[in-house]
Amino acid sequence: MLSIVPALEWLEALAWTTAIRESAWGYPIIETAHVASIVAFAGLVIMMDLRLVGLAFTHAPLMQIQRGLFPWQMAALVPSTATGVLLCVADPLRYYGNVFFRVKLVLLALAGVNALVFHLMAYRTDGRWDEHPQVVAGAWRAGAVSLVLWSAIIVSGRLIAFSWFF
Amino acid sequence: MKTRIVFAVLAAVVLCAGQPALAHHPFAAEYDVNKPVTLTGTLDRMEWVNPHGWIYMDVEQPDGTVKRWTIEAAGPGQMNRRGLKRADTVDGMSLVIKGYQHRRDPAQANGRTLVLSDGRNFYIGAVGGPNDGADR
Repeated sequence: MLSIVPALEWLEALAWTTAIRESAWGYPIIETAHVASIVAFAGLVIMMDLRLVGLAFTHAPLMQIQRGLFPWQMAALVPSTATGVLLCVADPLRYYGNVFFRVKLVLLALAGVNALVFHLMAYRTDGRWDEHPQVVAGAWRAGAVSLVLWSAIIVSGRLIAFSWFF
Repeated sequence: MKTRIVFAVLAAVVLCAGQPALAHHPFAAEYDVNKPVTLTGTLDRMEWVNPHGWIYMDVEQPDGTVKRWTIEAAGPGQMNRRGLKRADTVDGMSLVIKGYQHRRDPAQANGRTLVLSDGRNFYIGAVGGPNDGADR
């Protein structure tokens, strides 16, 4: 069977990934930036989710909140993703074998699909959000799913540090 | 308002200052404080990697067989600040490590102190651990 392991071994042996893995300062700085940008990103996502489920900012039209938050969400997504990729490639075999890392990747994919579906739906039906019952139900679901997924992503990310189940 | 923010930040700084550095994972989740080990043997190799390093050493057992231990150490940055440099650990050198055995893996331990063959000793603890004086 075709395995990804040789590719990961190649990645691990590269000079620059080794340099991150063995660095005195590089790794802690990347790790700190990863956590800090996740905090920013998750906070911005949760603000939108709370509006979607109707727990916050209910006085404002949904699309107004969406348009205000989206650029900031993207601004936080870029560094959190970039630093996450750097941490992965610095020690690819360890992450590959880590069950919580795999769980996190699956949850990230699900959150991505959820966000994409919501995004396309939101902009296509722009203007009908706040009165159309079906659309409102879809928005509630998207917000609820996002809240659950992002909480689980953060928890599984933290658990990567624990070598349970090897 | 401004003063209130300044006070909040100061309070946070003061509260954090008393805490030990945030550990990668808590000691007790992986290691057993009731199983201290003292390992005397030779260094197979040391991985100077993040988030914490790994020491592989061979320890001769009472029956003459050799057991390969895996010892969790601190990361490269912490080790450097404690005075241990990469050049200090040479494959094949003899060393003594004190630590605590892993809860599930009988050939793994959390390293607390490392004594090199030249007599220098270092605190190599990475993830908190018991108040056993190893860090002084």
